[in-house]
Amino acid sequence: MRETLEAIQQMRADGVIAACAIGGAVGATFYIEPMTTMDIDIFVSFQNIPNKLLIDLSPLYGWARSHGFEARGEYIILGGWPVQFLPVSDALDEEALAQAVETEVEGITVRVMTAEHLVAIALRVGRAKDHARILHFIEAGALDAAILDDILARHGLTGKWTAFGRRFLEERP
Amino acid sequence: MNQWMRAILESKRRERARLRLLPLDEKIAILERMRDRALAIAGSSLAKTRR
Repeated sequence: MRETLEAIQQMRADGVIAACAIGGAVGATFYIEPMTTMDIDIFVSFQNIPNKLLIDLSPLYGWARSHGFEARGEYIILGGWPVQFLPVSDALDEEALAQAVETEVEGITVRVMTAEHLVAIALRVGRAKDHARILHFIEAGALDAAILDDILARHGLTGKWTAFGRRFLEERP
Repeated sequence: MNQWMRAILESKRRERARLRLLPLDEKIAILERMRDRALAIAGSSLAKTRR
């Protein structure tokens, strides 16, 4: 993964992307046990790049081509990993990106979303694998309940959380 | 749930807790191996005939 993270660092240094943070299953690995995933989700902001009124991902693909990286569908293959760059799409994404924490992987400094933001985003997306990941976070005791409740309330996800609890937590062994 | 099943689940929980506490670089290495294996399984003849 080192080569992948170095390429992303280079993208930032070259001004192709502004702030970015690891989310999804790879982000979850920082807090819970590793779970199989095929790709890396990188949430990105283009806000600090001047003259950007609309989100345009073509500079990302152009950068990849010019640096010898393959683009495959919505992915860019960096260091053998398909990487999906997800522009922040709402207030929750923006907050998750702003509050991402800095850490080191294989000697490279990266930013990773907090456990609570990862769970809130997984709840919003709501696929079966997202629900499974949320259950792993709960079982691991990796969440601060007060912080999570606050995030869910501010981003209109309390109802979804209640439904999730009813469906998955009420009759656990 | 019988005692035997409880013991299996408890053992799985313990293993997951152990994995959770590994250093980050080790967890990333596991992630890479899991991905390689998943790709190998997806490329197997059985997986292809089921698609």
